[in-house]
Amino acid sequence: MKFCYFHLMPWTDLAEAPAQWPARNASFSPERGKELYDSYIDSMVFAEQCGFDWVGCNEHHFSPYGLMANCNLIGAALVHRTRDIKLAMLGNLVPLLNPVRVAEEYAMLDVMSGGRLVAGLIRGVPHEYIAYNVNADESRARLREAVSLIIKCWTEPEPFGWEGEFYQYPAISIWPRPWQRPHPPILMSASNEESAEFCGEFKAIMGLTLIADLAIARRSIDIYKRATAAQGFTPPPDYILCGYNTCIMDDDAEARETLAEGQRYFHRVLMSSIRDAQRLVITRSRYFGQEQVGETFVKRLVALKERTIEEQIEAGSVFCGSPDKVIAQMKRVQAELGNGMFNLNFKIGNIPDASVRRGMELFRDKVLPAVQDL
Amino acid sequence: MFTTHTATLSTGPITYRKGGSGPALLHIHGTGGPNHSPVLDALARRHTVYHPVAPGWDGTPRHGAVRSVSDLADVYADFIRTVIGGPCDVIGVSFGGWVALWLAARHPDLVQQLVLEAPAGLRDPGTGGLPTDPQELHRQTYARPDRAPPPARSQDVYWANRRLRDELGAGISLDQPLLDSLPKITARTLVLFGVKDEISPPMPAAHRMRTGIPHVHMTYVYDAAHALEFDQPEKVGALIAAFLERGEGFLVRSAAAAG
Repeated sequence: MKFCYFHLMPWTDLAEAPAQWPARNASFSPERGKELYDSYIDSMVFAEQCGFDWVGCNEHHFSPYGLMANCNLIGAALVHRTRDIKLAMLGNLVPLLNPVRVAEEYAMLDVMSGGRLVAGLIRGVPHEYIAYNVNADESRARLREAVSLIIKCWTEPEPFGWEGEFYQYPAISIWPRPWQRPHPPILMSASNEESAEFCGEFKAIMGLTLIADLAIARRSIDIYKRATAAQGFTPPPDYILCGYNTCIMDDDAEARETLAEGQRYFHRVLMSSIRDAQRLVITRSRYFGQEQVGETFVKRLVALKERTIEEQIEAGSVFCGSPDKVIAQMKRVQAELGNGMFNLNFKIGNIPDASVRRGMELFRDKVLPAVQDL
Repeated sequence: MFTTHTATLSTGPITYRKGGSGPALLHIHGTGGPNHSPVLDALARRHTVYHPVAPGWDGTPRHGAVRSVSDLADVYADFIRTVIGGPCDVIGVSFGGWVALWLAARHPDLVQQLVLEAPAGLRDPGTGGLPTDPQELHRQTYARPDRAPPPARSQDVYWANRRLRDELGAGISLDQPLLDSLPKITARTLVLFGVKDEISPPMPAAHRMRTGIPHVHMTYVYDAAHALEFDQPEKVGALIAAFLERGEGFLVRSAAAAG
């Protein structure tokens, strides 16, 4: 079993939920922002000392939900403060961006880190399409073309042009090329049936997030495996990455209280206006090709918000408790899903950084030794 | 509006269609024979397009002197001199791209600018090629089967064309003498490949052209397989038109194109 230490870099100091999306930034303090970046990056560097295989972060816009408009900048900050850990950018929202720029920045990270990049090529959650004023109807088709173009940028040693539906470039030849050959491993989100199929088609590592129900996750994994099999590829277990909000404390009650407090801030403050924007995009566009996939997405957000910690543990959607309890929870999920990698987010909402660090220490000393051979 | 004509070359008679007005543009068809694509109509708005039927194709008389791809290239050189009357731009499609490469290498004075769509003749042995199974052939030819044209000829005529191509091509995948001759091409060249082309796989043929031809640009066309002019007619037509009109300047996107 491999592990990724993931960070959303949330803004922790809001007393009230933003009234609307996008969240007004009048209360943002740059000085406090620097403190948070320093602390969060220290935590990500510490992940290497705790035995994590990857350290990961992602991209969000216009919200206190996460302070990473470009996760590659965080990746660059980690390059020289880490040695062996993989730098997992999970990832760049390629339909919103210039794919050639994504290929270039990822190639830079891969070369600067000596081949430690895991390249997330992500469609992005619905409301990001408002942020960057991109037609959400086109999101899947843009992603498909952008991924094809990015792979070509990485693998084509001769200058070439690209004449596509969404992207046209008369001449491309990126410098540098990536360190890893033929190119860095690609990760795509596969949290619903549509995206699992897509991810398998590209033989990418699948990332499952917001697991509300193990049976649904199992179905996505099965679809992914069928899609990879159709490509003549059998993904190894560590090509299945399952994301979990994780709270490990010395005793169960403390862990549940800590997680419950963090989740209250997460749902009440960080997610409130985002949920509105997501509903807007889902109902006014064809972001989800199939209507029921959009409904499932909304239901999953609601379910995750309304469940108690105990119900979330029972459903297999969080890891929470003392090290022994978390070990048992991880073994249960691995037995059901057959995944070879967990993506653990310890900083949920406004959980104090000291609690996050204690959880990481317990993971290093007690949890990892018991699950690394799964 | 295209009209059909005949002419007599030094090696024999030739049939061709002609349309449009403006600078001359020779379009050399592929294995199956001439197919009138929307790209030809688009190009005819600014060019006089000549679209000959290679001798022996579609039941036309064979020329006894034509026994190889380079011989066929010489026929097109004769066509440029005799019918067009002087140097012109040339487009070669698939097998026609192979012919066009020989034409540009053997007669650089006759080819002003060269466009190659999924050209044959420079691929590794054992890769690509035309499938024999009709369904597989159709699948590999079109990334957008919804845009495929209806058959332009009977199966008997198609297979007769294909046998003639096999005879001239002599089973060669990688034409080494042509590869050695690429540096003789003086025409600025645009090479187009469909991202999904399995019949003329872009690699390593594209690299051979990039390193062999002195002035060459290569562009991948997304969501296209082998039949570029049918899979993506608007994009391919606009790209070729921009290249032919502006030469190297096609790299600089015009305001109209950007809009």
